[in-house]
Amino acid sequence: MKQKSFPLRRFFTPTGVCLFLLILHYTLFLVLPMLIAFVGSFHDWNPLRGTFSFTGFSHYQRLLTNELFWSSLRNTLVFSFVVIAARMILGLVIASALFSGLTRAKNFFRAAFYMPVVTPLVAVSFVWLWLYNPQFGLVNQILGTQINWLYSKSLALPAVMTMTAWKDYGYAVVLYLAGLYTLPKDCYEAARMDGASSWVQFKKITLPLLKPMSLFIFITSLIAYLQAYIQILVMTNGGPGTSTYLSSYLIYDEAFMKYKFGYASAISFAMFLLIGLLTLLSFRVNQRGENA
Amino acid sequence: MKKQKLVSFLIHLCLIFMVMMTIAPFVWMLLSSFKTNAEINAIHPTLWPQNFTFDNYLKVQTQFHFMRYFANSLFVTVLITVLVGYTSTLGGFVLEKGRFRGRKLVFGLVLGTMMIPWFVTIIPKYSLMLKIGWIDMYSALVIPAAVSGFGIFMMKQSLTSLPDAMLQAARIDGASEWYVLHRIVFPMSRNAIASIVIFQFLWSWEDYLWPFLVMNSEGKQVLAVGLRLFNGRYSTDYGGLFAATAISIIPVVLIYIIFQKQFIDGLSSSSVKG
Repeated sequence: MKQKSFPLRRFFTPTGVCLFLLILHYTLFLVLPMLIAFVGSFHDWNPLRGTFSFTGFSHYQRLLTNELFWSSLRNTLVFSFVVIAARMILGLVIASALFSGLTRAKNFFRAAFYMPVVTPLVAVSFVWLWLYNPQFGLVNQILGTQINWLYSKSLALPAVMTMTAWKDYGYAVVLYLAGLYTLPKDCYEAARMDGASSWVQFKKITLPLLKPMSLFIFITSLIAYLQAYIQILVMTNGGPGTSTYLSSYLIYDEAFMKYKFGYASAISFAMFLLIGLLTLLSFRVNQRGENA
Repeated sequence: MKKQKLVSFLIHLCLIFMVMMTIAPFVWMLLSSFKTNAEINAIHPTLWPQNFTFDNYLKVQTQFHFMRYFANSLFVTVLITVLVGYTSTLGGFVLEKGRFRGRKLVFGLVLGTMMIPWFVTIIPKYSLMLKIGWIDMYSALVIPAAVSGFGIFMMKQSLTSLPDAMLQAARIDGASEWYVLHRIVFPMSRNAIASIVIFQFLWSWEDYLWPFLVMNSEGKQVLAVGLRLFNGRYSTDYGGLFAATAISIIPVVLIYIIFQKQFIDGLSSSSVKG
């Protein structure tokens, strides 16, 4: 009895317990599910009917010729890049304004801008659903318009993008501001002695030095937005028609509304590949810029 | 000097405009939650409620047991947050201060898991829950969320500044590794743990899809899903909807106002050095 418990006690150290937990957790909830999803993407998989039959590459073939897959992908890319651009530009401009010696109550402003970032997305999406309401929504009242934003094929996606940019720009404000505080002061003093204007200083010193931070914001945003779906689920359900389908919403729809687990898994892996490639590409572009 | 004052004035004007744009939706939601439905749908609506009423809040509770969802969310979120706080500190300590082969590889893998999108694993995870009979059980919400790659990463980063000599001194005095972890690492990392706990609390609080999938009985559902259920059932009771939304947002905003320093420090330290 005593001899048996000895190896167990040696294993019961923080290292042993931690590694055991990590292996158990990631095997059960990550590695195994990924393998099953990959295998499942080659199967006709419907949990309600209990089917799991091999279909080869047919899901991937279907996906490549499916109009909705491509239009969702186009929407996803437009959504992601426009919102990222808005987030980064607003973030940088506001952070620079807060950083300048001319601004008071910096902490108050920063805290206010960051507030929407922390609020729950489901609830905020509802608030914006009603802000866009054609009957009593605040947006029409302020603009003096009578537009049914979320029921317009051309305006629904921009409306959701506006809401997302509004919710998330504070993240870039906080990060850019943190970045600005770490910049070396002597560079600016030297530039000022040489008579460089503040615009030139911003372009030639601030922007290049903030590049690692910009890359960080860009990549974390890209990974987040390529997976966004809550806004769509609450505000438009992909409509009107299919004009606001994002790829993640398409996956949600195929998997949990239509129970086509196999096809949804195929789209998931296609999107996973795309996210990986885009992330890699942004690192590459950044590196090339540094070598030049 | 005059020009500088003008510029400063204009900057403040722009910033105040941005603050108003940022908080206007919240203010509008909160004020609307005190209006009657007739007033919300009025042809010439006013921002400020004409007849201040608490009925919407009472209605949300009597018709829909909204506080039940609130309590469920609180229970699940606190449980996940405590577990993540512990496992992140354990993981950060072992991966930063441990000396064993493959330590870097394990950390690399943990980092890699943060890049994997939710949709790649959620379908098989859901089937797994069906198979092992965890559907409609809180374990399905809590156990898969008990380890966080982000938490381990944050803790490991923060522990680089904890001097090894301090841990070594305790070990020489005969302290076990558990003692070092619980009595030295934990108290010394209070700030980092606070940041992780806050972020984890928010993420669990707003999680929608997973609870929507694995919880069946309405009495056990969480707030984010409850809000959508409420909207599905009483889609024209805007007063009630505003009140329900306010209940889901206000606690978060209060926590944010109290702990804003930890929020902002936590975010800044999770990124690169500029």
